[in-house]
Amino acid sequence: MKTKMTIQVQGIRKAYGKKQVLTDVAFMAESGQCVGILGGNGSGKSTLLSILSGVRRADGGSFFYGEAELLRYPGRIPKVLGYVPQEDPLMEELSAWDNLRMWHDKETLKRELAGGVLAFLGIDGFLKTPVRKLSGGMRKRLSLACAMASRPGILVLDEPSAALDLVCKENIIRCLTAYKEAGGILLLTTHDVQDLALCDKCLILKEGSLHPYEYDGDVHKLAEAL
Amino acid sequence: MRRMAGYFLAQLKRVCRLLPLQTGIGLAICSCVGILAAVLVTQGAGEGQQRYRIGLVGDVSGSYLGFGFAALQTVDDSRLMIELVEMTETEAEAALARGELTAVVRVPDDFLDAIIYGGNDTRVTYSADAGQTQLGYTVMGEIADVASTLVTASQSAIYGMQRVLYDNGSADRVGSETDKLNLMLINLVLSRSGFSEVELLGYAEGLSLEAYYVCRIVLLLPLLAGLSGGVFFLSRKSALARMLKAGGVGALSQVAGEYLAYLFFLCAGFFLPVCLLAQGLERELFSLPEWEGMGAAPFLALLPAFFSAAAMFAALQFFLYEVADGIVNGLMLQLLVGVGMAYLAGYFYPSAFFPQRLRSVGGFLPAGAAARLVESGFWERDARGAGAAVIVWLAAFLFLAAVVRQRRILKG
Repeated sequence: MKTKMTIQVQGIRKAYGKKQVLTDVAFMAESGQCVGILGGNGSGKSTLLSILSGVRRADGGSFFYGEAELLRYPGRIPKVLGYVPQEDPLMEELSAWDNLRMWHDKETLKRELAGGVLAFLGIDGFLKTPVRKLSGGMRKRLSLACAMASRPGILVLDEPSAALDLVCKENIIRCLTAYKEAGGILLLTTHDVQDLALCDKCLILKEGSLHPYEYDGDVHKLAEAL
Repeated sequence: MRRMAGYFLAQLKRVCRLLPLQTGIGLAICSCVGILAAVLVTQGAGEGQQRYRIGLVGDVSGSYLGFGFAALQTVDDSRLMIELVEMTETEAEAALARGELTAVVRVPDDFLDAIIYGGNDTRVTYSADAGQTQLGYTVMGEIADVASTLVTASQSAIYGMQRVLYDNGSADRVGSETDKLNLMLINLVLSRSGFSEVELLGYAEGLSLEAYYVCRIVLLLPLLAGLSGGVFFLSRKSALARMLKAGGVGALSQVAGEYLAYLFFLCAGFFLPVCLLAQGLERELFSLPEWEGMGAAPFLALLPAFFSAAAMFAALQFFLYEVADGIVNGLMLQLLVGVGMAYLAGYFYPSAFFPQRLRSVGGFLPAGAAARLVESGFWERDARGAGAAVIVWLAAFLFLAAVVRQRRILKG
């Protein structure tokens, strides 16, 4: 993650039947940057994220991470990209540790617990607690930990601060800022202006393509632009 | 591959957390089914002596008519299947309505008079309630045959002979000639059983009734285990499916990992009851006619077939929970499909009684294929056909579950 890397997304298209959801999506970002993707409901934000994270196939286009084209070789995606969906993806009956073990080996987890990402997220405080007993904020941190413990170069987040209280949001933003500073590339969708403080680049997804937007703190102007 | 293994291990850990609950539910279900089996088998054992009850209504006080019915009840082969009970018409109608009688034989008041005066067109009439129609036809045929030979025709012959003797002044020979004629007629009736020899091979699919029901009941456990297996699917999340897909674990791998854990979950739940059953058979606390004196060995030999059937049922349940939206819908679907299929495959009522077309459908269904596989173990028949059907169903359910999972991932 320390090496300077870039991502380049070009000409991504996706249609559901006759409905063209993404027509020509293109953007780029480099290590240490956060790209925020905004858009109204049904604008195709989740479709775009699911294509970039390898969940869904695009009808066309490319997604380069450095020299590697990821959409043609989707098997490479899990090695470089971590994805966190909006709802928590945790197994309720298992402890936080068992959930982490599903994604990572013991050595990685021990290393990250001893001063790494997991320590930063404060996972060690509830490592043995069953997920069903965790609060919303703890669940979100654990979900992030599952995606981040192996320190992927790209982190894709679908509305990371949705349904969290202010303190939890602050924690998450602090953690994601640290990830950026460590050289990670962050892609996120959001409806929350608080998340925009994290973004180096804001893009509005409208009528199937991305348009740059400079957020100046005016929410009404943003709403009009959407 | 490493992530898939990790996912499978995580599912196994979930199973271990849920195991005490599942074992409890498994034991409760097995206890209920065990009681049901004991009742069925106990009733089945008595079924050999159980006869169709026929109500006898009307005046049967005539010496020879009474003798005819007494002969029916004591010496004729029909005594094994028919029990005649004298009662009034009102009692008979009420008993018929309650289902305590299969049919009523009504002897009209002028029956004997008509015979004495040479007429033979007054018939004994029969009636059965609608629910007994199928069995009624069989019984009616038997009774009509016996009654026409022993009762109607014999009465006409005896009274006719007696009139001839009286008219010709041989009243002193009436007693001895009547005895001779009666014996001759009874011999005629009794010789019916000499026309053919019937060998009872078994009630259903060639098995004894006990074996048939035990086999079906043991299969009913894994078939309906989806109801107790609901806890496994309680906390299923689409978000996890999507995250796994992004992590390189596709829909088919997810389904495979979860299915294996679910199968283990079900098998673990029924491990204790199966051990208890094997111990009971080994100690000869109970047994089946086919396994008399053989201990638990034949039961243990059947376990691979039972396991294969359970694996297929687990795949079916997995698919149904995958299709259903929410746990309540899933449980309803399990119940409807499980019970419906069990009925068609003859789990509740021997399929031999069903029309041929329905039997073919029942045999084709997963529950029918599983029953054929297990029964072939009883007979040491070639089980390849049934085994192949079970494997094809299992693969089909898992494939369909993966298709539904893929749609769910994309829908999210």
